[in-house]
Amino acid sequence: MKLLNLTNRYYIAIALVLLLVSSAFLAYRVLYLVDNEISEHMLFEKSEIAKQLEHQKGLQNLHLIFGDRIEIEPIPKFTSFRVIMIDTTIYDLYEKGKVPYRMMTYEQLVDGKSYRIKLARRLTETEQLAEGILATLLLVALDIIACFYFLNRWFSSKIWNPFYRALNVLKTFDLQKGGNTMFQRSQVDEFNALNAELSKLTDKVTRDYKNLREFTENMSHETQTPLAIIRSKLELLLQSELNETQLNQILSTLDSVNRLSKMNKGLIMLTRIDNDQYAGLQLLQMGKLLRKQLEDLELFISSKNIQLHQDIDDKLLVRMNPHLADILLTNLLSNAIKYNLENGDLFVTFTKDKFEIANSGHPPVLSPDEVFDRFKKGESPDSIGLGLAIVRKIIDHIGAKIKYEYKADHHVFSITIPVANLIDQEEEYQVG
Amino acid sequence: MKILIVEDEKQLLDSMLTFLKESGMICEKAETLAEASEKADLYEYDCVVLDIGLPDGSGLKVINILQQKQKQTGIVILSAKNSLDDRLVGLNFGADDYVTKPFYMPELVARIKSVVRRRAFQGKNEILFNEIRVVPDEMMMYVKDKLISLTKKEHELLLYFLSNQNKVLTKESIAEHLWGDHADMADSFDFIYSHIKNLRKKMTDNGAHDYLKSIYGVGYKLSSE
Repeated sequence: MKLLNLTNRYYIAIALVLLLVSSAFLAYRVLYLVDNEISEHMLFEKSEIAKQLEHQKGLQNLHLIFGDRIEIEPIPKFTSFRVIMIDTTIYDLYEKGKVPYRMMTYEQLVDGKSYRIKLARRLTETEQLAEGILATLLLVALDIIACFYFLNRWFSSKIWNPFYRALNVLKTFDLQKGGNTMFQRSQVDEFNALNAELSKLTDKVTRDYKNLREFTENMSHETQTPLAIIRSKLELLLQSELNETQLNQILSTLDSVNRLSKMNKGLIMLTRIDNDQYAGLQLLQMGKLLRKQLEDLELFISSKNIQLHQDIDDKLLVRMNPHLADILLTNLLSNAIKYNLENGDLFVTFTKDKFEIANSGHPPVLSPDEVFDRFKKGESPDSIGLGLAIVRKIIDHIGAKIKYEYKADHHVFSITIPVANLIDQEEEYQVG
Repeated sequence: MKILIVEDEKQLLDSMLTFLKESGMICEKAETLAEASEKADLYEYDCVVLDIGLPDGSGLKVINILQQKQKQTGIVILSAKNSLDDRLVGLNFGADDYVTKPFYMPELVARIKSVVRRRAFQGKNEILFNEIRVVPDEMMMYVKDKLISLTKKEHELLLYFLSNQNKVLTKESIAEHLWGDHADMADSFDFIYSHIKNLRKKMTDNGAHDYLKSIYGVGYKLSSE
């Protein structure tokens, strides 16, 4: 839920409660006052009637000047000074129905004669008044909700705009590309403060990342020459007359140097992909590349007696850098052979909707998330642990996706290449 | 065979000088572009081993000088930064081959010899080793004039040994020579063993001496004794 909607929800709830309470109070007050007014008015009428009765000395010329029903009836004997006021309904000729009235009944002595006087006044005004109040308040409530709705839209388009912009900047922020983050200034201090902090943060992250990348790059580049020197000297030593101990020491040193230089090569590869040094794209016959690689690896496949199952669509072209394609396939395929079982299976599928390399093998030591991490190695202690990290780097680089899972005793790597980079020659012909 | 080695890293240069000299090559060295240009201009070489990144400029200029002379000088690039650009640019400029640092010395020797063979004899020349004769471009060898066919890998292996006679070749360097990027496949050493066994059998069965020596734990050596 959007922040604004949430706050609005509370605002509207509170406004409605307040409206309800105050309208109840208002209704009560107004009705009370009107009621009072009516009663006062009737009492005033009472005194007027009394005056008139005294003046007229009779009932002949009594004018009904107040619009109320007045009945004056002579009674034989005056009984009480009590004034009775009740609310009742009376049949109304005009309305053709019963209508609420307030009735005042009292007795009066005029010149020794007793009268009973009934004064009745319509109360319909009060009802109408209550309805009016209710309607008005309803209207106000609707107004408030509508007002909040439009305010909300206005807020989110105007006042919250910088916030959403900043959010968008962060969403599109890509550490790899390291583009600088431009936050717009707004008139709201809070947003400016937020943007300033975000700016600082992204700058720092970008700088750190760049430093780290530079470090890896320099480190691996600068170690290359010393490694080459060490290896060359060891090789020279190897050619001289040596006893067995010396030979073994040189060999194990050489072995470590080899590991180091493999690691080095892997890291250089990673940084070079990062640095976009494999930019040249070509339309590649992936099927052909796969076959070529499998041919190169034939010896290793047959030595383990691995059953190779191929489903390769030769008409599919992939747009990517040939060097990267080569490394990608080498790493995936040699992995699938290296960790395969004796008499195992190797499935290589490359069709329009499936690009998958699967091999039989022992259950994984690493979780599916760790498989692609640098220097994470499974069962083999000899491996450097960069092969699949490079695979993922290449996959990311070309905007593809890779998924690893272990199902039915098989390690399965499935790749999804973006449709834009996957071209079906057959379709091309049909279209052309 | 006269070689010019252009490399600014002195230690590496020394190693290469020693190793190539031990392989029977006549070597000269240059540590700067100026020195390399001067030597390339003045003298004749069969092959120039060239590091592109020199302190005073790009080694590619040496390729220009050599091409202007229109001599049959082979060029092997030492690709310093494992850099694709160095390699591609070098090959486009007219270099014949490249090795990537860090490289195995026997590999460098094999590349140099192969380049020189291709340049000078268009690969037609035969390599003689006592009673064994090998044509580099054909997958066969002659033992005492008897034609024996070889598999692709056996042929590559034999050439590698012949380029590095009397040198100890480690299993790692052989694996890399034969399989390149796939060299670290788990059982590549076993394959070397079986290839060598087959090769040895083809030689000895046909009356050749057993020249392929195993050096326990290290590798193999083709020795003429």
